[in-house]
Amino acid sequence: MTHATTPAFVGTRSTGARFWANNKATLIGCGILVALMIVVPFTASSSVMNIVVFAMIFALPAIGLNLLMGLAGQVSLGQAAFFAIGAYTHAIMLTKLDLPGPVAATIGVLAAMLVALLVGLPLMRLRGHYLALATLGLGFIVMIGVREWDVTGRTTGIYGISRPTVFGIPIDNSGFFLWFVTPFVVIGLILALNLTHSRAGRALSAVNDSELAAESLGVNTYALRLKVFVLSAGFAGLGGVFYAYQVAIVSPTTAEFHLSVSILLMVVIGGLGSVWGAVAGAFLVQFLGEGMRDVIPAIFPGATGEVQLLGYGIVLILVILLLPGGLYQAATTLWHKLPFAGKRPPGDAHAHTPGSASELDTTIPQLPLVSTPVAAGEPILVIEGLTKRYGGVVAVNDVSLTVPAGSILGLIGPNGAGKTTCFNMISGALTPSAGTVTFLGQVISGRKPHVAAAHGLTRTFQNLQVFTSTDVVGNVYMGRYRKGRAGVLRGMLGLQSAEQSGHRAASYEILQSMRLTDAADDSASDLSFGKQRIMEVCRALAAEPALLLLDEPMAGLSGAEREVMAELLRRLRTAGLTIVLVEHDVAQVMSLADHVAVLDDGVLIAHGDPESVRNDPAVVVAYLGTDLDEAEAELTELEEHA
Amino acid sequence: MLTDFLQLTVAGLSQGSVYALLAVGLIAVYTVRHVINIAQGEFAMLAGLGSAWLVAAGMPLLLGVLVAILTVTLVAIAMERLIIARVKKLTPLTSIILTLGVSTLLQAIMLLAWGPEAKGVPLFPGTNVLIGGVSIRSQEFWMIGALVIVGGGIVLFYEKSRWGKALRACAEQPVAARIVGISPVTASILAFAIAGFVGGVAGVVASPIYLSLWSGGVLLGLKGFVAAVLGGFVSFRAAIVGALLLGMIEAYVAGYVSSGLRDGAAFLILILVLVVRPQGLVLKPTAVRV
Amino acid sequence: MKKSRLRFIAPIAVVTALALAGCSTSNLGGTADADPAAEAGPIKIGAVLDVTGVGASLGVPEQNTLTMLAKQLNADGGIDGRDVELTIIDNQSTEDGAAKATSKLIESDQVDLIIGASRTGPSLAMRPIAEAAKIPMISVAANVAIVEGSEWVFKTAQNDVVVLERILDDAEAKGYTKLALVRDATGFGEGVAEYITELGAERGITLVMTEAFEPSATDFTPQMTNVRGSDADAVIIWGINPSAGLAQKAYVQLSVNKPVYHSHGISNQAFFDAAGEAANGVVAPMGRLLVADQLAADNSQREVIEQFKADYNEAYGEQPSGFAGHAFDAWHIAVNAIEAAGTDAAALRDELEQAEFTGVSGVFAMTPENHSGLDASALILAEAEDGRWNLLKD
Repeated sequence: MTHATTPAFVGTRSTGARFWANNKATLIGCGILVALMIVVPFTASSSVMNIVVFAMIFALPAIGLNLLMGLAGQVSLGQAAFFAIGAYTHAIMLTKLDLPGPVAATIGVLAAMLVALLVGLPLMRLRGHYLALATLGLGFIVMIGVREWDVTGRTTGIYGISRPTVFGIPIDNSGFFLWFVTPFVVIGLILALNLTHSRAGRALSAVNDSELAAESLGVNTYALRLKVFVLSAGFAGLGGVFYAYQVAIVSPTTAEFHLSVSILLMVVIGGLGSVWGAVAGAFLVQFLGEGMRDVIPAIFPGATGEVQLLGYGIVLILVILLLPGGLYQAATTLWHKLPFAGKRPPGDAHAHTPGSASELDTTIPQLPLVSTPVAAGEPILVIEGLTKRYGGVVAVNDVSLTVPAGSILGLIGPNGAGKTTCFNMISGALTPSAGTVTFLGQVISGRKPHVAAAHGLTRTFQNLQVFTSTDVVGNVYMGRYRKGRAGVLRGMLGLQSAEQSGHRAASYEILQSMRLTDAADDSASDLSFGKQRIMEVCRALAAEPALLLLDEPMAGLSGAEREVMAELLRRLRTAGLTIVLVEHDVAQVMSLADHVAVLDDGVLIAHGDPESVRNDPAVVVAYLGTDLDEAEAELTELEEHA
Repeated sequence: MLTDFLQLTVAGLSQGSVYALLAVGLIAVYTVRHVINIAQGEFAMLAGLGSAWLVAAGMPLLLGVLVAILTVTLVAIAMERLIIARVKKLTPLTSIILTLGVSTLLQAIMLLAWGPEAKGVPLFPGTNVLIGGVSIRSQEFWMIGALVIVGGGIVLFYEKSRWGKALRACAEQPVAARIVGISPVTASILAFAIAGFVGGVAGVVASPIYLSLWSGGVLLGLKGFVAAVLGGFVSFRAAIVGALLLGMIEAYVAGYVSSGLRDGAAFLILILVLVVRPQGLVLKPTAVRV
Repeated sequence: MKKSRLRFIAPIAVVTALALAGCSTSNLGGTADADPAAEAGPIKIGAVLDVTGVGASLGVPEQNTLTMLAKQLNADGGIDGRDVELTIIDNQSTEDGAAKATSKLIESDQVDLIIGASRTGPSLAMRPIAEAAKIPMISVAANVAIVEGSEWVFKTAQNDVVVLERILDDAEAKGYTKLALVRDATGFGEGVAEYITELGAERGITLVMTEAFEPSATDFTPQMTNVRGSDADAVIIWGINPSAGLAQKAYVQLSVNKPVYHSHGISNQAFFDAAGEAANGVVAPMGRLLVADQLAADNSQREVIEQFKADYNEAYGEQPSGFAGHAFDAWHIAVNAIEAAGTDAAALRDELEQAEFTGVSGVFAMTPENHSGLDASALILAEAEDGRWNLLKD
């Protein structure tokens, strides 16, 4: 998936060809699915038919849950709740209000989404375990609610739902019903696939890898997660609508925990993050369940009830232990082992690179764009009284600083001086205990990192925050997030390929400026430590920032790499970019920075041009913790050494 | 009216004792492994059904109960060794799916072994007491007593004994714990053993009046989770208070509002607490306390 | 990567699928085999029962009974020489399960008649499906809502109204004026409070409080505490076992100390299993099955009940419950009607509407207006004592 067609090739093709190239897998896959679904009613026995129908119905909530779990990394144990809300609303609209089917169905889906929105607003602030258990609680609440409410028919539920009629044909047998449900599953599938490849989808998987980094690049994780949660509920609601039609009754069982578990199992078996996997998982779980119901009583005489749970439990454990990527992982691994696999189709990502590597050494790479809306020398970042307390410990104490546009500020200090804490408060990763950070006239302190990023402030991290699930160019591409506009809806409809190819081209250019083009298609986690650091800088630059915060950008870099980096930073400054960097390499800082600020024990002890800071006796003592002469000698030595 | 209120309070306290024991088990595992064990409730049901079966097969009550608790403790340790310990990097996602898998598997095993009907251990020895119109069943004394002895014992273990302190340290600082003399592996096994043990105790004392059912564990475990959340998921004492509170609230809702809404109340509290005060009602969000 | 893989698979899949495509159209509403109404081949009877789940204490003896009777019938040569094919599906005591099972019986098994379900909720879920397909259905559950206004649905369990009349008559005779109701929260208990209010009005009896419990409940303290605090003279516990038995146990443990009536939903051994000693003194209306040995010698039902008990005991080594009796009656009413009218659905329905049968649960007289066929005479009052039922009043 990551080797989508590169811009160079796109330009030479017609729109139709481009559409085909970009969507080949989806189109072929859907074609096969549709073909199978057309044929199945003619060939399958009635019990297989029954399984297939329910697999298609449950594929919908499974696709939804897969988006939520695979893409947004949020576990929901209450998917059945939204399934039930869709089913109940649909049933009530049909039987009590006598609304036409399409209207009732639409209201059913919307009801599920509305409830998801209402509960998601507070719940999406939760993380990991807490969200999972809150959704589990939600599932129980919905079940109890429908059981106790007269409108939902209490324990008996709502029955007497008549079968739908399409173009005057009553859908009164399972064959017709399969044909009735298939188009909806296919459309849902395409929308979900588009979403995973869209700007929002990439952002979500980035959030999964590193929430901090993604937010620093402008991703509003909360809003995005909420949108996916609502979307996922919509899929579940649609599944519920079809379930109500097919079973002709909606009872509290539709909200049961075991149903949520089986939907979760579909996603896990299929492979987290793989939309096709969710569909395959739905079929597998239905067949597994039916199979277990036949096999278990044969092995254990007298076994009755939900014996298929035995298989569900074992499969859940085994998949996570042995095959965390599910069927999708198994299929891709198998594919790579085939003799004719492994050759990338022509026209893929590598195609554009030949020659570029050798050119690099001779030509001066193009400089990434920067966007500084204020004139050089004007204050771009104003820090006032910034303080962070942890219990009784003061990590940063009343720091005030002003950074003029178009300059480089070096922030130095001994270990534990509070440099990174300062950075975190500026970028929004930490909320200050007191004080404000004003960036381009906007107070950004105490807001989430994506707010600062939206105004043009990006950063790198001391502890690298690499998006490990994608390649190098994918990481840099994420930096372009701020420059894109396509939202969840446009992403689902696939209306952003032009925008995407533009960003991809820009990503390659930035990699080129740091001579990283050769590694562009390597997995980000395979890079050396130094290269990862450079990649992070590229990623931050891809956002075309006005202010760049670099947390120890030189750490782990080779001498040559440091030179490239330093040169790039200088050129960026000339181009108008403002840079604040924390760095251990004092010599490097002194030679690069226009201004240097020194933190010691959370207190700003010096701030000025490199020359005056270097000669500030307080700095020398504090920084090196020894007496003045010795410290100065050491400092000089360090510089010469570098 | 007062009699009714007190009657409901007694029912709430005895039910709350069961939630409290489960909450203790959940916290023990969470502090060490950062895993929320969805199978915690199944430990209780397994012990209840197991001892009911042993006693029905002719084993003396006391022996049957002890064997069942011990077996469940071993099951919990096996779960840790065979499943949890095998995953190198436990994320919330994988840990939830894994413990959910164990929970589902245990349910299925109970269903296959003992059938779909609810079963109860015979009543423990004792007599029902009627004080001022409030009837206290002898088993309710056992339930509250189990919390006092076992729950109290675990709290003391964590606060007084060397190993208990090491377990606490393990939660806060794995390196420090090693210095005290407990490896993360031992700590993890110990935590699961505690979870299995308290789950087993909760299961057998509750079984005579609340009965044990193959599918009843999820709901019960969730109630324990609600209690643990009320205690901020770090403090045993706070969780025990939270559990007793939860038991009483449930009883009042069932008595004064509608019995059908009883479970709804618990989960409404859960969601409210998670949203309003995820650090728990009782403690401030500081480091792990036990 | 995936793209080219799919390119290989696609043609293979399509070709395989097309090769497989035969001419079977049974999934599309066509009929693969003979016309179901045809007067040849085996007669197909489907049953949807609560074999597992909360209704298991009802569904299992019903399943046993139907299996036994089908075997007997086929051993005796079937109906007019045609074998009877009985398909029993477990609905797991859920409404969804009942609805799915009914659709399956109608669409793929193409049955001529459906028996079930064991409880009211699942029966209500099945009703519209049977009606839409115009297939006769005989429920073995109690609530009158199952058959009210239906053309195609019949039932063999005594109506809840009739049972309540019996209880209220007894309460009136004993001078109770205020009743409390603790009822099953599912379909079986729905409408009971309204009937008590309505039927009680003419007898000077008022319903002072209603509490509900889930059939899966194990704790009844809140309900019983409230009942104890009420000023009711007597209490009706309306449910099926094991929950009704457990409720009775809690009732005694919490010293409610008021006379208690149960419904006919407890007429089985499971009640004594769940309630233990607490069962003593419970009064409940029920069919004559459990007190057959105490009936007058000339009672018209005595012979059929004793024959059924003997057969059941021989087949399964235990005594049948009242629910087994409902299944026995449903089976015989169905078989008698098929013998008379064949398997044409409309004719069969018309025949069922005039069915008369002396059965285990009572003497049936169906009419187009009354698809239940039993009146208050089908019930006796019995009192529990040491694990058995004593006939109080015939």
